[in-house]
Amino acid sequence: MTIAPHSDALASQVFCDLTVVDVSGSVATSYASKLFADYGASVINVEPPEGFRTRRLKPMLSSGDSAMHGYLHTNKYSVLASRSLFQDEPVASQADLVIFDPEHLPNTDYLTDIAINTCAVSWYGLTGRYSSFKGSNAAVHALSGLMRGIGTVEGPPVIPPGYQAQMIGGLSAFNGALGHLLAQRLGNLKTPFELDASILEANMCFTDLGAINAYNENPLPPRMGINRFPPTYPLGIWPCKDGWLGVTNLTPGQWKAFCQLLDLAHFADIELFQSSVSRLESSDILEPEILQALARHSAEDLFYRGQAMRIPLARVPTMEELFTVDQYVSRNAFSQVQIGDETFAAPSTPFRLFAAPPHFGGPVAALGAHTQQWDGAP
Amino acid sequence: MSRPVRPLEGLRIVDLSMGWAGPLATRNLADMGAQVIKVESCERFDWWRSWEATEEWIADNGAEKSPQYLYVNRNKQDITLDLEHPVGRELLLKLVATADALVENYSGGVLPKLKLDYPQLKKVNPELVMVSMPAFGSTGPWSEFRAYGSTVEHSSGLPHLVGDPDQAPTMQHVAFGDAVGGLNGTAAVLTALWHKQRTGEGQFVDLSQVECLFPLAAPGILHQSVHGQTPQRFGNAHPDHAPHGVYPCHGDDAWAVIQVTEETQWHQLQGIIPALLEFGDLDERLAKREAIDACIGAWTQQRTASEVMQTLQAVGVTAAKLNNGQELLDEPHLKDRAYLQWLERDHVGLQPHPSAPFRTAEEPIRITSPAPTLGQHNHAILVDLLGLSTDELRQLEQQGVVGTKPRMPSGKSAT
Repeated sequence: MTIAPHSDALASQVFCDLTVVDVSGSVATSYASKLFADYGASVINVEPPEGFRTRRLKPMLSSGDSAMHGYLHTNKYSVLASRSLFQDEPVASQADLVIFDPEHLPNTDYLTDIAINTCAVSWYGLTGRYSSFKGSNAAVHALSGLMRGIGTVEGPPVIPPGYQAQMIGGLSAFNGALGHLLAQRLGNLKTPFELDASILEANMCFTDLGAINAYNENPLPPRMGINRFPPTYPLGIWPCKDGWLGVTNLTPGQWKAFCQLLDLAHFADIELFQSSVSRLESSDILEPEILQALARHSAEDLFYRGQAMRIPLARVPTMEELFTVDQYVSRNAFSQVQIGDETFAAPSTPFRLFAAPPHFGGPVAALGAHTQQWDGAP
Repeated sequence: MSRPVRPLEGLRIVDLSMGWAGPLATRNLADMGAQVIKVESCERFDWWRSWEATEEWIADNGAEKSPQYLYVNRNKQDITLDLEHPVGRELLLKLVATADALVENYSGGVLPKLKLDYPQLKKVNPELVMVSMPAFGSTGPWSEFRAYGSTVEHSSGLPHLVGDPDQAPTMQHVAFGDAVGGLNGTAAVLTALWHKQRTGEGQFVDLSQVECLFPLAAPGILHQSVHGQTPQRFGNAHPDHAPHGVYPCHGDDAWAVIQVTEETQWHQLQGIIPALLEFGDLDERLAKREAIDACIGAWTQQRTASEVMQTLQAVGVTAAKLNNGQELLDEPHLKDRAYLQWLERDHVGLQPHPSAPFRTAEEPIRITSPAPTLGQHNHAILVDLLGLSTDELRQLEQQGVVGTKPRMPSGKSAT
C-alpha cells in the first residue's frame, strides 16, 4: 500500500499486516472493519462524495460531525471513491479483505475479476426469498423472533433501539472473515473467499433455542410481560429505595440467599420454591412481598451485600451513571474519540489482548482526508 | 462461489467453559473446523445440562437431553477430569501442552485455587492463547462478582434505552449478555490466534461480557457523552421517522413491523393504504403519529403478518412479521438457505441445529457431529492423544477421576 501506517507503534499490533477496505459504510460493515482497525489493521474507507451514511447518524457534535460515525471509524483512513459504484476502484486491488453491503454495491464483478477476499454483510444473506427485501434493525429483530418476547402481555412487542442488529451482524462478519483469513495463513484455504454474512442469521443467536424448544414440543410461552422471561423467577429489574436493581435467581441456593438478604425467610425453605419453574408459576404470590422488601433498601446496598452472598445481583446504571461506575472506570471501558477539536467518550474494545492491546479511542479521519496519499499505483 | 471449507482445521482448543457464553464462543470455532475438547467432571458438569440436578434426573439420563446444552456443544469432543485430583490436574496440563488456545468462564478465583491459572498454564505451553471471559472482566473491584447473561444486560445500562419512558428499564431477553459474550469470545480467540500465527507469541486475553454490550448501547452512551443528558426513550416510535412501529395483524398475538424512512416509501404506503392519503409531509406525520398508526393498524388487522410483510416489501416498504419459535422452524427464507441442519443424537433423536451465520457457498458450513455425551471422548483424548494406557484409564474411572455418568456433588443430598 502507498498509505503509511498511522505510527510506528502500529507495526507491532495484531493486524499490522492486514489491509481492509470498506466500500459501503453501513453500521454493520463499519463495526466489522472497526474491530480490525482497533487491533491495528489499515482500514480504508472508500467513501462517496457525500460520505458514508454513518456520517449522518445521531448524535451530532456541535461541529455537525456524527459521534456515531466517530465511534465506528476511529483509526481508519478515508479516501474518496474515484469511480461511481466502485467499479475499477484501485484501492481494492491490494486489500486483504473488502467488506461491503450488497444493497449499496449491486455490481461486484470487478471484485470477482481481481480475485480478492470479500465479505458481503447483508440483512438477509445473498440467497433466499428475502434476499432483496428492505432490511432494518427492527425487521431483523422481528424475523429473528427476539421482539416477540419483549414488552407487555397485550403488546405491542417492543422494538430494540439503535443499531443492535447491525452490531451483531458486523461482529459475526468479523468472525467469519477473520476465520477465513486465518484459514489462508494456516494453508486450509488456498483461494480467495467470497463470504456471505447474514445479519438475520447472526441475530438468531438470541433465538435459535426458541426454535429448538418448539421442535422438542417445549415451546416458550407467549410474551409474559415487561422483564419477565421463562424459565425462572425472580428475574427482572425492580425499583429500590433509590435506583434500580437487576435480580436473577436460578439455583435453590441463590433463592435461599436472596430470601435471607430481603428478610423473606418464610419463603426460603418452601419445597415448591426450590424449583425455578415453580417460582415463576408462583410469581403472583412472591412478587408483592419482594417489591415491598426491595423498596426498603437502596439498590447499591443490596447489590454489594448480595454479591458478597454470591447472588448475581446488579445495579442497573443509567447512561450518566455508567461513566462513574468504578469497575468500568478502572478498566477504561470508555475511551476518548477525537473529531477535529472535539472529543467524547465511547465504548472501548470489549476484549483485551494483554501482549498486544487494542487502540483505546483515537482520531477520526475527515471525509477524503487520505485521498491525496493514495496514488492509485497497483 | 467455492465449496464449503473448514477454515480452522488443525487448531486445537481446550474448552473449560460452561453455560451459554463460553460454549457458544468455542462452538463457533468448532463450526469452523477447530478441534474443541470440552472438559467437564462427573460432579462439576456443565450447568447447562441442569442447574437443579437430582438422582432421578441422573438415572433418566437427563444430562444428555438438555436442548440448550446440545446446541452450543455440537462439533466438540468431551472428556471428564476431576481437576481437584492431582492426576486430573496433571492430565489437563498435558492436554493444554498440545493446545493452541484455552477458553474458560469459571468464576474468578476458581482456576488460581486449582493452580490452573494463566501463569501455571503458560509454564507447560508458552505459546498458549488463553481467553478468560468473566462477566465484569478479570481486573477491577468487581472481577469476582457473579453474573448470568441477564445480570450482564442489567449491568450494561442498555435496559434504560429500551421501551416506553413510563415503564421500568426493559430487558430484551432472558440471557441477552450470553449470546453477545459468546460472539465476542470467538472474536477474541481468533484475534489472538492471528497474533500467534504471525509472531509465535501466546497470551492472556481478558474479555468483559458487560463491556461486550456497550457497543449495542452506543447511541445512548454517545448521546450522554456528547449532550450531557440521558437520552429519551421513544418506545416503538422514532424521533425522525413516521410511520414507525409494530402493528397488530390477523391472528393470535400476530404483529408486523412497518418503518417508513424515505419519502418514496411513504408514497408507496399511501398507494397500499388509501386512508393515509389525508396525511402529508414528514412534519405532519410526526405530529399525527397516533392517527396514522390507527389507520395502519386497521389495515394490518385484516391481514396476516406474512401478508403484510409480502405486500409492503413488494413495493419497497420496510416490513417484517414477528416470528416465534415455531414460526422460525417453518420460516421459508431460512429453509431456502438450509439454515437449520439436522443431526441424530443418542438419547434425543433427530435435532435441529442452526448454521454458522456466514458461508462461502450456497450451502452453510456443514455441521459434522452432534454434542458429545459426558466423557464420550475419554479414550480418544486420554489414551490415544495423551498416552495413558487402557489400564490406567480404567483405574482413573474406578477412582472417580474420569467417568461417563454425572454424580451428585459430594456431600449433597440426592433429594
